[in-house]
Amino acid sequence: MGTENPGRQQFPARPAATPFAAPPQNVMPFSSSGPLVRSESSGFRSTLPAGHQPMMPPSMHMDGSQVSGFRSPPIARFNDPSVPSPPTSSVPATVGPFQRFPTPPFRSTAQVPLSHAPPVGQPLAQPPAPSVSFRTQPQIPLVPMGSPPQSLNSAPPNMNVPYSSPDSTVPAPRPNFQSSFPGHIRLQSNADSQAPPIQSPFSAHQGGYAPAPLPSSSPFLAHPGGYVPPPPVLAPMGLQSRDQMQHFGSGPPIGSIQGLMEDFSSLSIGSVPGSIDPGIDPKALPRPLEGDVEPKLLAEMYPMNCDPRYLRLTTSAIPNSQSLAARWHLPLGAIVCPLAEAPDGDEVPVVNFASTGIIRCRRCRTYVNPFITFTDSGRKWRCSICSLLNDVPGEYFSHLDATGRRLDLDQRPELTKGSVEFVAPTEYMMRPPMPPVYFFLIDVSISAVRSGMIEVVAQTIRSCLDKLPGFPRTQIGFATFDSAIHFYNMKSSLTQPQMMVVSDLDDIFVPLPDDLLVNLSESRNVVETFLDSLPSMFQDNMNVESAFGPALKAAFMVMSQLGGKLLIFQNTLPSLGVGRLKLRVDDLRVYGTDKEHMLRLPEDPFYKQMAAELTKNQISLNAYAFSEKYTDIASLGALAKYTGGQVYYYPSFQSATHGEKLRHELSRDLTRETAWEAVMRIRCGKGVRFTSYHGNFMLRSTDLMALPAVDCDKAYAAQLSLEDTLLTTQTVYFQVALLYTASCGERRIRVHTAAAPVVADLGEMYRQADSGAIVSLLSRLAIEKTLSHKLEDARNSLQLRIVKALKEYRNLYAVQHRLGGRMIYPESLKFLPLYGLAICRSKPLRGGYADAPLDECCSAGYTMMSLPVKKLLKLLYPRLVRLDEYLLKASTQADIKDLEKTLPLAAENLDARGLYLYDDGFRFILWFGRALSPDVAMNLLGADFAAELSKVNLYEHDNEMSRKLMRIIKNFRDSDHSYYQLCHLVRQGEQPRESFLLLSYLLEDQMGGANGYVNWFLQIHRQVQQNA
Amino acid sequence: MELLLWALSFFIDLALMASTFYQLVILTDLEADYINIYDTASRINRIVIPEFIVQGVLCAVFLITWHWFMFLMTVPLACYHVMLFLKRQHLFDVTEAFRFLSAEKKFRMIKLGFYLAVFAIITFRLALSVFNFLSDAEDAVHLF
Repeated sequence: MGTENPGRQQFPARPAATPFAAPPQNVMPFSSSGPLVRSESSGFRSTLPAGHQPMMPPSMHMDGSQVSGFRSPPIARFNDPSVPSPPTSSVPATVGPFQRFPTPPFRSTAQVPLSHAPPVGQPLAQPPAPSVSFRTQPQIPLVPMGSPPQSLNSAPPNMNVPYSSPDSTVPAPRPNFQSSFPGHIRLQSNADSQAPPIQSPFSAHQGGYAPAPLPSSSPFLAHPGGYVPPPPVLAPMGLQSRDQMQHFGSGPPIGSIQGLMEDFSSLSIGSVPGSIDPGIDPKALPRPLEGDVEPKLLAEMYPMNCDPRYLRLTTSAIPNSQSLAARWHLPLGAIVCPLAEAPDGDEVPVVNFASTGIIRCRRCRTYVNPFITFTDSGRKWRCSICSLLNDVPGEYFSHLDATGRRLDLDQRPELTKGSVEFVAPTEYMMRPPMPPVYFFLIDVSISAVRSGMIEVVAQTIRSCLDKLPGFPRTQIGFATFDSAIHFYNMKSSLTQPQMMVVSDLDDIFVPLPDDLLVNLSESRNVVETFLDSLPSMFQDNMNVESAFGPALKAAFMVMSQLGGKLLIFQNTLPSLGVGRLKLRVDDLRVYGTDKEHMLRLPEDPFYKQMAAELTKNQISLNAYAFSEKYTDIASLGALAKYTGGQVYYYPSFQSATHGEKLRHELSRDLTRETAWEAVMRIRCGKGVRFTSYHGNFMLRSTDLMALPAVDCDKAYAAQLSLEDTLLTTQTVYFQVALLYTASCGERRIRVHTAAAPVVADLGEMYRQADSGAIVSLLSRLAIEKTLSHKLEDARNSLQLRIVKALKEYRNLYAVQHRLGGRMIYPESLKFLPLYGLAICRSKPLRGGYADAPLDECCSAGYTMMSLPVKKLLKLLYPRLVRLDEYLLKASTQADIKDLEKTLPLAAENLDARGLYLYDDGFRFILWFGRALSPDVAMNLLGADFAAELSKVNLYEHDNEMSRKLMRIIKNFRDSDHSYYQLCHLVRQGEQPRESFLLLSYLLEDQMGGANGYVNWFLQIHRQVQQNA
Repeated sequence: MELLLWALSFFIDLALMASTFYQLVILTDLEADYINIYDTASRINRIVIPEFIVQGVLCAVFLITWHWFMFLMTVPLACYHVMLFLKRQHLFDVTEAFRFLSAEKKFRMIKLGFYLAVFAIITFRLALSVFNFLSDAEDAVHLF
């Protein structure tokens, strides 16, 4: 039935079954008959629910033990099946019907079809009412599947294992569970995977309490009627012999323990044999050595969801009430990266409705998406978010087939794909779509000239002129400043640019307002001449002042008509005119006091006001800063933060060393696909609401993000909150809509839609958690906290949050299982403690003055606020690989895979004989061990091998090893184009560079006041256990 | 004299209440998306400083006229205003408007309540002094 019909899936089976629950007399006869034929009835009870909704009994059981488990200890843990009431009461109402289902009158009918049931759909032939529950009935067999003798045999050993494991501190049994766990998850995660052969022995003796379906129970519930393909086997139903049933009745204890054990991972702490440390085996700690793993569960449940690269929820199971959400102490929300780069072949399809107009819900303005359903033979559609019935416009009408699918479904990407792009008609334009505009504001004071920045910038811009998006409409303009502001008239009729100097900083005016921003294709020659001569124009400039504020105002005036992208290149602290800043870091006494956070905020309100004005006029600002001295990135960065821009910081820029990085990143900034004058809104179903947004943008109204420019390297985070009422739907839909002007001049709307199940069970929320999204959101919250509190407070509150979450999780399981000395955490969140540590040790949150210059902390803070999940995780837990073995091996490309063996970030993994590469996505560090064979160093560094490595640049030498190394580095760089990783070389024992460059970033080691991984883990464990 | 003072403070307090109420209405409108955030900020920020000054004047008037009780009642708010001004947090921040929206609303709500309380006292004193004035006048008539 509903299997192949996406639309139908939304009509849940459960509500349909509710009528059953209504007649109470159904229950009565049954329970009265119970005592009479106890064995039979109990067996029947335990299996029948399993039959009709195989996931039910476990979930009922789970609910019993999880929800009411600690509140009412005497809960029927392995409840005698004939005592239905306690669990039922704690189960969501909908479960009830199924449990009460076995009524005598029905029983006979139930069993008949069961035993003869053909694979699919057949139950429809039965009395109409039960039909719905019958849909799932085919799954029954998974319980009795295993042949009776087998099950009997397998029971005893299984019984023993789980019993011994929870308490014994011997870690031996644990690996079993852990190793079996992924397998189970995978199997169960497909809601459709029926009784995999492996499970059958298990389930056979455990009956209704089969542990196997347990994890999948809720997804299934939440997704009624979804993917329930015919089960592989049916016939054995007939085997439901009475004694087997009895066996079910007696077997459950194992089942539930087993089932629960599989829900979490645990780590023994306390008495691990052979460990020196205070009882923890460092090797056993979880580490994300494979990088970020996107949760697959949701995508499998809702295959039409948009790809997780666009939208990731912190947990794919949305809680159904505020109280449940409050018990999930982690942030509840989403990370959105609306323009994420799609791999070739998976681009977002563009849909043009032309005359029809874009189809949206009348009431909630949701765009048409794969989750809407068509009714009334195709004349109406029901909005997935607010469930309002809308009319289908005549041009969009299509007949439905027997299953309710539109006949033209294959030609409608908007009805089959979670991500689409609509071409927006004129109603979506406030003004004609703007052309791409680039305006460059370049510092030409003495320090900028000396560093060689101007030259690199001019060359890079010139080389990118051909690749700027939006040809032939692209507009470009330049201004330079020191103590005065220089404008350049680049009218196409000129052969040479004309320079105009404005030195009155108090009353800025723009000379020739029309010719400062020119069409690139018309004025190409003038622009090129200008860029060629720019470096030489100022090479003798001795001016040390910087009139940044006035220059910014002037640039704003030039651009205010059109909007666009403003790139500022700043090499000194702004010292003249409005917005001048002072050296704030001088006063060391501020650190550690309540005023410390002021250092991380813009000093002059001018910067925030200016940022607001820029955003209002659709100008996005990207700040490039180069100084070795304090330039107050906190203030400059605010301009980028509120305009949807980005901060690039190159401390102590020298064109010889950093030139390549600047060249790459600037050209990436100029040439990547950019969405202009954009606004973004996230809509979601009734009962949930996005309440706070985190990232680099400005909110224009409560839920509308103003993004003057967006590109693929920007991600935005939002937090959800629930409204007072209980969520009654089974699914919540989210829709991200980004309305923007493409570089080609077309107005477009990019829409990403996703669905997530609603659950009533905390364990399920943890199981479906996405640690990547959680970490991303947590880091943003922590960074925001540093702007109003001390760093220490920000770190502590982050730690507290993790502890609370793990404690809550522990409470779910620890009590029944007496897991005393173990650290318990959900499999999905096994890296959470480590990433928490990484956030605490990341630059924006790390100690004070001594640890990192303020400017670096601030720029890292601004950067991390906009990083997409994967890049952030890589920055937090960088990759460390050993290279020397690979370099020495005389082989080629094929075994580049060897390099994927990432090492834990601890100094003990650095072998003095090795050569290691550390890669955090922003820089490479090549670490030469002390005992590394001199040949390798000589081959790689040429004649410089003995020199001080801080002065050595890595380039390709004429030998195989060097070529190989460069190939690896290129390979690594190609995996992420958004930043250029400059290669720093460091030799073991070369202090203080080694600790400054690498050792302080090995976050598993203790460093100064900061915790190492083991200590951190123990600390968290201790706190979790306190009054647990 | 007394009558004049209370009449003056009556109108000042009325003005303060009106301004606070106006700001509150604007913030509510912003929340409901009836008004643009830039307009909100410019409208509110335009009257913030005048309001602070008027409130300070009211406080000072009470001090000068030696009304201890009224002075002590209004001085904490005046101090708070000064503190906000010194910390440069008195203006409505456009860039972070929605983050602080509820706090700003709460602050103005409390302020409104405070002004109302002051208003009640002032009205009472005003009525009292009017009564006194009138009865004095009558007494004076009687003297003749």
